[in-house]
Amino acid sequence: MRVGVLGIGKTPHKIQHNKSLRDLIVEAGQKAIDDAGIERRDIQALYVGNVGSVGFCFENSTGLMAVDHLGLVPSAAVRVEAACGTGAWALHLGCAAILSGLYDTVMVLGAEKMNDLATVEATSLIAQAADSKEEYFSGLTFPSGTALTARKYMQTYGCTEEDLANVSVKNHYYGARNPYAHLRFECTVDEVMRSPKVADPLKLFEVCPMTDAGSALILCREEMLRDRPDKPQVFVTATSMASGTWYAASDGLDESFDLLARPAQKAYAMAGISADDIDVAEIYNSFAIQEPLGIEALGFAERGDGWKGAADGSTWLDGKVAVNLSGGLLCKGHPLGATGTSQACDIVEQLRGTAPAEIQRKDAAIGISACRGGPGSVGAVHIYQRLED
Amino acid sequence: MTVSAIEFSRLGPPKLRLYAMRCTDCNTLHPWWEHYVCEKCKGTTLVREQMSGTGELTNYTVVYYPPRDFLGQEPYVVGHVRLDEGVSMPAPVVGVSEDQVEVGMRVKSVFRRMKLGHEGDVYYSQKFVVDPNPPKPKKKAAAKK
Repeated sequence: MRVGVLGIGKTPHKIQHNKSLRDLIVEAGQKAIDDAGIERRDIQALYVGNVGSVGFCFENSTGLMAVDHLGLVPSAAVRVEAACGTGAWALHLGCAAILSGLYDTVMVLGAEKMNDLATVEATSLIAQAADSKEEYFSGLTFPSGTALTARKYMQTYGCTEEDLANVSVKNHYYGARNPYAHLRFECTVDEVMRSPKVADPLKLFEVCPMTDAGSALILCREEMLRDRPDKPQVFVTATSMASGTWYAASDGLDESFDLLARPAQKAYAMAGISADDIDVAEIYNSFAIQEPLGIEALGFAERGDGWKGAADGSTWLDGKVAVNLSGGLLCKGHPLGATGTSQACDIVEQLRGTAPAEIQRKDAAIGISACRGGPGSVGAVHIYQRLED
Repeated sequence: MTVSAIEFSRLGPPKLRLYAMRCTDCNTLHPWWEHYVCEKCKGTTLVREQMSGTGELTNYTVVYYPPRDFLGQEPYVVGHVRLDEGVSMPAPVVGVSEDQVEVGMRVKSVFRRMKLGHEGDVYYSQKFVVDPNPPKPKKKAAAKK
């Protein structure tokens, strides 16, 4: 499969008290339209990924708001929601719409405005992506649920908290060099270890910040991008989704692995490539432990070895595969509905060669993004390729 | 989380006991009191079964930044318990300090206040404490024979 990426647009990731949800939507969408160099009327459908505007902003029908404020009426518009996998799901639906032949050009947009709420309220809201009647009722939240995964991982594979801290060190090294990132500072293993405990063994520097951001892509049929030789020839060549349990109660590393490994295997088959071919990867890491889990599921390391790359350099810029050159969610933040689209935009920039110089992988031609959502519920893998012919 | 009095009347009673749902086709147990399709065999007849409430703590974390409903309880311990019937579920653990808690601890369920609702209404449910009368190890050895 090939779906052309005609344009991308993203807002900075940070706390933006001066901007509303619609400001973020319009900024990201307008940038994508400008980048694509098309008219508004060419966009036939709009998929808006947004998780929690009804709680964060007391606004609900985000798709309808976006289509109006972006000036895309009378095009079709819908809001997509799948917990933290929301942006990736919007991208999946956009690709499916193009591949089906129903539409020629669509916009996929993710946006989230999180900082109108205090952290304690926002944590409660996010926790409702899990079963709020049972799991959340027991006092388990996303940080604490993932802390349980981290402890299990360390016990099973014999790595230490210091070993895992390297993941944050790597992400912060690149986040400091990404002008669009939320947290732009470097840190050491020692500083990670000394940062305040959030949910033991997770520490503050191993947890993503709450971020206001939007990002958008304009997708089109393959031949339409071919007819635009002025545009970088970057295509989505695989889009693969899967589901898993809605409950963290099973506490299983196997389930966590399968959640991304299943769609990853399908995606590699769809694109006709293997893990060895990948140059750059954006892997969901709202908590540091999820990066090694993702690295293993995507086939970049054996089970239990995923944490080693951040320590030995193999997942750094010049390593075998560069993972999270954007700084990952740990530094970019995790604007829920915009995370999947932001990963896509960052990979497209890498393949176009337009990423900030210090985080640009040389000659990147094939990229992958992996997103997850819910306690163990959504697995999403997309592959992107620069194809000159 | 805001829950109306009507919802509470539905949500409250099952929490007075510790339940799991057993699949009548393949015997698999699923945590909690609502489950419609068996994850293992996809059977659709599941019946509610009361658990003994004793089990082993298989994992835990200490929460320092709680969500709104649990404010004031931090730091609190929450983990996973494997009940003796063989099902795992999230387990708030009380009466044990953060440096005493350990994986493998024998625990038993108790009925406790869980959290405060928006209008000051109190929510009750099952929490876990260290089991004062854990099963004797020799019982295990006998079972192996």
